[in-house]
Amino acid sequence: MSARNPGTELDLSWISKVQVNQPAVLRRAEQIQARRTVKKEWQAAWLLKAVTFIDLTTLSGDDTYSNVKRLCYKAKYPIREDLLKALNMHDKGITTAAVCVYPARVSDAVKALKASGCDIPVASVATGFPSGQTHLKTRLEEIKLAVEDGATEIDVVINRTLVLTGQWEGSDFIKTSTGKETVNATFPVAIVMLRAIRDFFWKTGNKIGFKPAGGIRTAKDSLAWLSLVKEELGDEWLKPELFRIGASALLLDIERQIYHHVTGRYAAYRDLPMS
Amino acid sequence: MAATRAESRAREIFTTLEYGPVPESHACVLAWLDTQDRCLGHYVDGKWLKPEHRDSLPCQDPVTGEHLASCLQAQPEDVAAAAEAARTALESWSGLPGASRAQHLTRLAKMIQKHQRLLWTLESLVTGRAVREVRDRDIPLALQLLQYHAIQAHSQEEALAGWEPMGVVGLILPPTFSLLEMMWRICPALAVGCTVVVLVPPASPTPLLLAQLAGELGPFPGILNVLSGPTSLVPVLAGQPGVQKVAFCGSVEEGRVLQRTLAGVGPELGLALGAESLLLLTEAADVDSAVEGVVDAAWSDRSPGGLRLLVQESVWEETMRRLQARMERLRGGRGLDGAVDMGTRGAAARDLAQHYVREAQSQGAQVFQAGDVPSDSPFFPPTLVSDLPPAAPGTQAEVPWPVVVASPFRTAKEALAMANGTPRGGSASVWSERLGQALELGYGLQVGTVWVNAHGLRDPAVPTGGCRESGSSRHGGLDGLYEYLRPSGTPARLPYRSENLNYETFGLAVPSTLPAGPETGPSPAPPYGLFVAGRFQAPGARSSRPIQDSQGKLHGYVAEGGAKDVRGAVEAAHQAAPGWVGQSPGARAALLWALAAALERREPTLALRLERHGVEPKAAKAEVKLSVRRLRDWGARAQAQNHSLQVAELRGPVLRLREPLGVLGVVCPDERPLLAFMSLLAPTLALGNTVVLVPSRTCPIPALDVCQDMATLLPAGVVNVVTGDQDHLARCLALHQDVQALWYFGSAQGSQFSEWASAGNLKPVWVSRGCPRAWEQEAAGAGPELELRAARTKALWLPMGD
Repeated sequence: MSARNPGTELDLSWISKVQVNQPAVLRRAEQIQARRTVKKEWQAAWLLKAVTFIDLTTLSGDDTYSNVKRLCYKAKYPIREDLLKALNMHDKGITTAAVCVYPARVSDAVKALKASGCDIPVASVATGFPSGQTHLKTRLEEIKLAVEDGATEIDVVINRTLVLTGQWEGSDFIKTSTGKETVNATFPVAIVMLRAIRDFFWKTGNKIGFKPAGGIRTAKDSLAWLSLVKEELGDEWLKPELFRIGASALLLDIERQIYHHVTGRYAAYRDLPMS
Repeated sequence: MAATRAESRAREIFTTLEYGPVPESHACVLAWLDTQDRCLGHYVDGKWLKPEHRDSLPCQDPVTGEHLASCLQAQPEDVAAAAEAARTALESWSGLPGASRAQHLTRLAKMIQKHQRLLWTLESLVTGRAVREVRDRDIPLALQLLQYHAIQAHSQEEALAGWEPMGVVGLILPPTFSLLEMMWRICPALAVGCTVVVLVPPASPTPLLLAQLAGELGPFPGILNVLSGPTSLVPVLAGQPGVQKVAFCGSVEEGRVLQRTLAGVGPELGLALGAESLLLLTEAADVDSAVEGVVDAAWSDRSPGGLRLLVQESVWEETMRRLQARMERLRGGRGLDGAVDMGTRGAAARDLAQHYVREAQSQGAQVFQAGDVPSDSPFFPPTLVSDLPPAAPGTQAEVPWPVVVASPFRTAKEALAMANGTPRGGSASVWSERLGQALELGYGLQVGTVWVNAHGLRDPAVPTGGCRESGSSRHGGLDGLYEYLRPSGTPARLPYRSENLNYETFGLAVPSTLPAGPETGPSPAPPYGLFVAGRFQAPGARSSRPIQDSQGKLHGYVAEGGAKDVRGAVEAAHQAAPGWVGQSPGARAALLWALAAALERREPTLALRLERHGVEPKAAKAEVKLSVRRLRDWGARAQAQNHSLQVAELRGPVLRLREPLGVLGVVCPDERPLLAFMSLLAPTLALGNTVVLVPSRTCPIPALDVCQDMATLLPAGVVNVVTGDQDHLARCLALHQDVQALWYFGSAQGSQFSEWASAGNLKPVWVSRGCPRAWEQEAAGAGPELELRAARTKALWLPMGD
């Protein structure tokens, strides 16, 4: 993904003027989940769309070439071919938006994707993930190495020490959290972030992307995230260049829901290929 | 396979990512209507009542026009049957221990829980409101209401000792929100031991279903009776024997007409009028959240009316941009669609909105409409009106659903002036992250409910209601219970209406008075003049009336007050009001105590005055002593009025504020001339009102004596005393649009007139109906009833969060 945000002069008056009323945002978060549902073919179409937003992720200490390879294959074929055919969606080239791995596994992922002949980008968490508490020099070096290995997107952990002391950084995408915290992607936090993205767009004309990560496991959750973005930012943000969902288990649940939609039966896990 | 039907759609939706319909079936409603052969009658005494030879009106799906059922319209004899059933049920129901009534209400809650799908589907289908709102908010709230009031009933004997149920209550409901409005009122009424006859507009079946569920519970079938019929039946209902209270919920004009019609009929009238709300957005607000507040207040199916939106000028552009962007994303459609924000309120509501918007446009306003809403009738899109000139008629008129009228303001002070600048006083929200500013505005708004940084929150424990033309009845909380209670031992309210009373001429002319001979009163001579703005002034008419003693001898002359004197007194009271409200309760108490001390010093003179009017010397002394005590007691009670409530699902307190009514007109009775005067004056002052009093007709002189002390002790204008012809002065006060409440203790005719004339500004009116009152007794002379009537309740919601 190419850089979009040319940046702007740091104007802290923007930040000091921001008012966020927590109880009101909590109420809004509850409402969005209750007020918008999609059913039947709308649900199927939305779920397939959600697949195209997924950064299919594995971030485990015991990741090896074999499970990264499996992940990459699943990224290319996220939904069983016969199910897509039944929906007449098999020719839409539905893949996940990216695969996301640790820097040391980037070369594995690039290799696996190349082998299966597809151009899904490889994203990598870098910069002392998940705490960001390493020296700037090693963090920059980490990014450089990941890019050299073929990563085209880098999820940077911002230096929260600097944020908490009021020193901000810029970005193309903002992400709710690393997915490794005790509390990860929550609706109220997302609402505040989405409103900031919209305000920044209104002020500068630059569109910043949004990526919730951590704890998004069910198809229903993913639909709620899609409608949240649709409601707060609009349809123009509902494309992989501006919206990603960082997840690993989510894809399987979406596939099960599609299976149910197509067949009218609930799937057992063995009915669907693992990643 | 489902997919064959869906495949082409799925491809398209995958590209557009549009929302689709989420239809809910209404098969359960049709099945229920089939049990009634698609003909709904009335539900009376635990049975369906379907009399013959009645007109019927169709109940239709407002969107498709599908005929659902026909609804029989009640005739006066049906009303009589329902009132009779309620009267019979009252004997057993009100005699039950509160704990047993609590159990019955709990059983009703369980019954509703079991049949909630039918209830919410029916309500959404016939009212057109979004089913999500009915299912996720109305039904849970209805259950909470039953639970809360069951608890109140359980502890009634302790917590509400000294009060008894009023009797049969007549309840008149509006066509929208009939289920919730009904629950807010029947729960407290039933809890305290009243029984209810509900009159619902034609073709509103949900209250009938609710009554059926309650009736099927068994042993007390007649406690809840529901009739379907036009509002022209309200006087018939009010005139039924045993009906002690009429609670009306509807439009301001209907309420005004009803107050006039029911003058002298007997039942107490509780009004909850109008549906407009207000939102005040300051520059210190979280604007995005405030915009969601606007959606809650006007463009969801949560609120019954439209919204007046006041926005601080410095954030005007930003707010408009966000509002308009938000409006684009609103979805309207059939109420039984699970993913719409707004349903429809039917063709009549649409026409009303349409008319308002056209008028506004013709007056030069900007109109912005947006949202994904069907363009055909009966749907109406979310509408934002701005730039409506302040002098345009539309600025004063009530804003209908789903219209928002936005106007800019410069300072918080100006915002308050604009907000309080209409006759309505329902609910409002204040959006500001500055605590001090939010509280300043919250306290300053003349409304019944204020939410800070939220809009439309409700809880059974929080009293809700309005002031001014929004009507002064309350529901919810303790205040809601008192609506259906009266002090134990109060005689039943009987009709006292005189058909001959001519409202146009009553009290219009003052009989001319002539010199009646030399004054032979004891010294010191009583002060002469009207006590207005802190001093004795000559009356505008420059004439006097003679006051005779019990022997028929001339006691002295008092000034003959008239319309201009009342006007001057009301003005003086208004000028004194901000200062008096601003005093702490402690300071007010100190002044009342000082006045008590002064009264004590005057005891010999006052006792002599009373003796001349035929009071036994011992009784005269006792009357003065008791008058002194009233001042001291109310001074002490001024201290503890406000308290805070804790409610479910809200972090932070809700303050229940007791606020003064404003300028109170009080016409004192003939009996107990000094004691009644003091018993009425003391609570009004203690609770922060300023007052214009008309003292006893036959014996006004002791009151004038006390004015000499008030002149030195109290700030000028807090108390004004106008002597003269009682009928005439009562007329002037009742017709005065800027008197906020009227207490009339005098003749039956004067009472009837006061009830009729107070409809002008819908001021709360309390009349004696020509009956004397036992002022020397604690309950009648200094009971909590006075405290309730001398102030109004405001609920101030303060959600917290970091």
